[in-house]
Amino acid sequence: MNTAEFCRNLEEVLDLPSGTLKCGDVLAQLEAWDSLAVISFLAMADEKYSAVIPPKRIPECKTVDDLVALIRETGK
Amino acid sequence: MSVNPLDLSGKTVLVTGATGGIGRGTAVLLSSLGARLIVSGRKLDVLESTGGKLCGVGHRVSTFDLARLEAIPEWLSGLIQEIGPLDAMVHCAGVGSLLPLRLLRTEHLEEVMSVNFYSAAVLTREFARKRAHREPASIVFVASTAGMLGTPARTAYSASKGALIAFAKSAAMELAKSGIRVNCVAPSYVATEMYERTMASLTQEQLNALVENTQPLGLGTPADVAGAIAFLVADTSRWITGSVLAVDGGYSAQ
Repeated sequence: MNTAEFCRNLEEVLDLPSGTLKCGDVLAQLEAWDSLAVISFLAMADEKYSAVIPPKRIPECKTVDDLVALIRETGK
Repeated sequence: MSVNPLDLSGKTVLVTGATGGIGRGTAVLLSSLGARLIVSGRKLDVLESTGGKLCGVGHRVSTFDLARLEAIPEWLSGLIQEIGPLDAMVHCAGVGSLLPLRLLRTEHLEEVMSVNFYSAAVLTREFARKRAHREPASIVFVASTAGMLGTPARTAYSASKGALIAFAKSAAMELAKSGIRVNCVAPSYVATEMYERTMASLTQEQLNALVENTQPLGLGTPADVAGAIAFLVADTSRWITGSVLAVDGGYSAQ
């Protein structure tokens, strides 16, 4: 998985314009990052990267990069 | 002399989804009320565990995947040939789904509708055949408050349970003259394996908000739902058909 591809997938599930997400973006500052976005991210991680992420790990993630690291850690 | 209005002695009841929390709790309660049970589910080891918890003797365990819709008639008629007509059927089999609309695919919709709704429709059609049931008969579907009230990320699940409720009402009208009552229970959040699987994608804060803020009586148990099902199976509900009994800790009262 490369980070750029992940950003495009996350943009897709969060309904953001293509190319708007960057690695260092702070999740708390993204208007689209809400409880439904978290569920969407978890479903996308499972579907696209076979990564079953425990939801309690999500609060650890502060940036888009942290989400990528979490998928790399938990994915197959 | 004491009388138990929920007495099910001499009744034969099919419980689908008996490997899940509500199905297992229902089977155990109905057997303790005197019913002879046929319990079905996909996983033999879990099903046998349910069978081992039943009170009394003469129960049957039958593994079957209800997603095989075309095989349901042969499976059910085989059971009935073996043990005789059914007095009641409780359809607990179902699959949970928590998926935001943006990620919804037709394949996912089809899977949820197939297990939660299409199987109920086929089972009802087969149960309604003259040789399959004994009057007065009762069918109970485990629907959900999600079939009546909206919840984010549960569109597929809600649609399947809403379809089940609508189906039950029409089937109740169609089958009343055949001596078959058709009703639903509508649980909300109940402590079952499905609840744990479905809610595994929520954080603890989201879970707390879901249960504590929506159900004044807290998280339900399978036994809470089983009690309502027993009422709808027994003659206590002989004048009730086409109804939806909310078993939801107050969820739908708000």
